[in-house]
Amino acid sequence: MPVLFEANQSAPQKTAKRTKPPVSNISKRSNPLTAYAYKPLDIRFETQEVDEDVILFLRQHIVVMIPSFLLFIAMLLGPMIVFPLFMNLLELPIQIPAGYVVVGTVLWYLASFGFLFTQFLHWFFNIFIVTNKRIIDIDFINLLYKELSEAPIARIQDMSYQTKGILGTMFNYGNVLIQTAGEVPNFIFESVPKPSAVMDVVSDLLHATKGVE
Amino acid sequence: MTPELIGPMFWLIIKIFTILGIAIYVVFAGVVVRQEQLMSKVLEAGPERALRIIAWLYFAASLFVLFMAVVLL
Repeated sequence: MPVLFEANQSAPQKTAKRTKPPVSNISKRSNPLTAYAYKPLDIRFETQEVDEDVILFLRQHIVVMIPSFLLFIAMLLGPMIVFPLFMNLLELPIQIPAGYVVVGTVLWYLASFGFLFTQFLHWFFNIFIVTNKRIIDIDFINLLYKELSEAPIARIQDMSYQTKGILGTMFNYGNVLIQTAGEVPNFIFESVPKPSAVMDVVSDLLHATKGVE
Repeated sequence: MTPELIGPMFWLIIKIFTILGIAIYVVFAGVVVRQEQLMSKVLEAGPERALRIIAWLYFAASLFVLFMAVVLL
């Protein structure tokens, strides 16, 4: 009898490839500008327990710093271009003493640097951490307000992610929304790189945790 | 207002307010230093020492501007 259908022997191999973890080839070393690190070796946080491992370390994508950096550049140009033009147009009846010009210029540059530095600190220390036990969101809303939220992995109920805008699509970053059970707050990992990979990692952890339980 | 009408009292008031404003800015720079210290306790990721040095330099620079204002104005 002629063979009408023969199963493709290579099919299981393709399936095996698809189930491979999407982040297995990501470096474990971090640098000061790291926004996505899978199992980083050199990162620890305040409330980390002895038997707790950092699985995923996230910050906002560095692209979100571009507006602040452009504003900093514009502020640097102020005393050189904008202020002389402005003073010529105003034609003030009084002569501003040289001391005020010098102190004002130095203060302006210092304030410009201070603006960029505080923006960088805000970016650097606003972090999202996924460990083998919980998810943690550390927010420094401003210089005087800090907020730390955490939830056990087992409490995660639902996850989704959004990639919005031209920059988000180009640089592959977006928001990851994690809904949790009970009174534990919901989490929004804002503008993090590779949101789909983040979801995959958290999802794998969730399945592993529920499998153990 | 003509330049003749602007007396030394005018510039003294301007100087006091300028120095007061810069003094408030020095306090802000001090808050940045303190906040950086608190933030570094939360996260150990490597470059905290560099950030601490920058924060202290920033504070020192703001003190220098205050000194400049007192001397030059």
